[in-house]
Amino acid sequence: MKLGEKQKLGLTGIAIGVIAVILVVLGNPKNMGFCIACFIRDTAGAMHMHTAPIVEYVRPEIIGIILGSFAISVISGDFRPKGGSSPVLRFVIGFIVMIGALVFLGCPLRMVLRLGGGDLNAFIGLLGFISGIAIGCVFLSNGFTLGKAAVQSRAEGAALSAVTTLLFILFIAAPSLFLFSETGPGSMHAPVAAALLAGLAVGIISERTRLCMAGGIRDIILVRDYTLIIGFAGIFIASLAGNLITGNFSLGFSGQPVAHSKHVWNFLGMLAVGLGSAMLGGCPLRQLILAGEGSSDSVMAVLGMLVGAAFAHNFSLASSADAGPGINGKIALVISIAVLLLIGIVVTLRERRKA
Amino acid sequence: MLDAEDIKVATFHSHYGAMMFHKRVAGSLLRPVPRSLSSSCGTAVFFSSPFSDECTDENTEAVYQKEGEIWRLIWKK
Repeated sequence: MKLGEKQKLGLTGIAIGVIAVILVVLGNPKNMGFCIACFIRDTAGAMHMHTAPIVEYVRPEIIGIILGSFAISVISGDFRPKGGSSPVLRFVIGFIVMIGALVFLGCPLRMVLRLGGGDLNAFIGLLGFISGIAIGCVFLSNGFTLGKAAVQSRAEGAALSAVTTLLFILFIAAPSLFLFSETGPGSMHAPVAAALLAGLAVGIISERTRLCMAGGIRDIILVRDYTLIIGFAGIFIASLAGNLITGNFSLGFSGQPVAHSKHVWNFLGMLAVGLGSAMLGGCPLRQLILAGEGSSDSVMAVLGMLVGAAFAHNFSLASSADAGPGINGKIALVISIAVLLLIGIVVTLRERRKA
Repeated sequence: MLDAEDIKVATFHSHYGAMMFHKRVAGSLLRPVPRSLSSSCGTAVFFSSPFSDECTDENTEAVYQKEGEIWRLIWKK
């Protein structure tokens, strides 16, 4: 039986939800089977880019996602290196997406996994995420674009995957090069092989189905298409069922794992993530997938997220669990949203004048 | 509305480009780009009316005609 696009997305979402629950059972923090933002942040810490002692670990899931996407795109013919579409703006937007995610404490994927674990703070985040994407859609409908990408060399397209492979080899062969948390979320992790395999699987199926946490909401708003949102729904249903079965479901606002209940900042954090994702053309997970496919533009967004994570912890912008964001994080987030709006307005007006 | 026997799809460099093309082509539909055409998840325009160069602009990337299960390229910038 040949599966349609919607069935494939539904199965992909369910698979990711199940994999996330299994990774929690194997050792990852609760409601954090997968979190692109948190795991890039942990990896930045492991590489000495920040020194927050509780969030340092080379997350094999991130390595697996990039390499899974790279491998399947090479095999399927989707590996088409391209780039040059406003790389610096993409870096800045990626940086801001990370600030928003670390104020909320999770990327859109973790937001859905938190919802599946009963964390109602994530519902506030979802409202912010939808609002951010809606603002992004206003820009897109009025001419916003980061510009055309041009064909690049295969070396350019494969560079991140090569660096990621090197990182994994060093992680296995010379772990003393890296920092590893002894307490906190960074100290909680599934076995390396399981995490890598999980990442590879998610990278492969997400590449084939174009799964994107932001794209589903964007397509509903822009073209009334409900295909991509099925993946989003599949992740939620599978993680909800998985958490109920494993006893990790806890409904409420307070006492949620690696979360806080500062509603305004949860809303605004995910608004920044939603708006930034709409402007970049995909959520943080999608940026990893596109980077694996050879998009150097998405590599720039990933690097922006990596540097943003380091800044977030070096300058106390990231929220702490329970207490929420400090004054630095609040100021940085408000400025970040203003910068996104400024980029959106300036680029949109420029494109309108050209038209 | 689309004629099942004559479906074309245009792809674009931006969503705005798709919107402009959609406005110029009567009876066209805005939809996500078919997976078989691209691994990107941008907006495409499906239409059945005769294709003309005049409908395109700098944001138009390519136009395909559906032939059975495959899309045949009929125009590219």
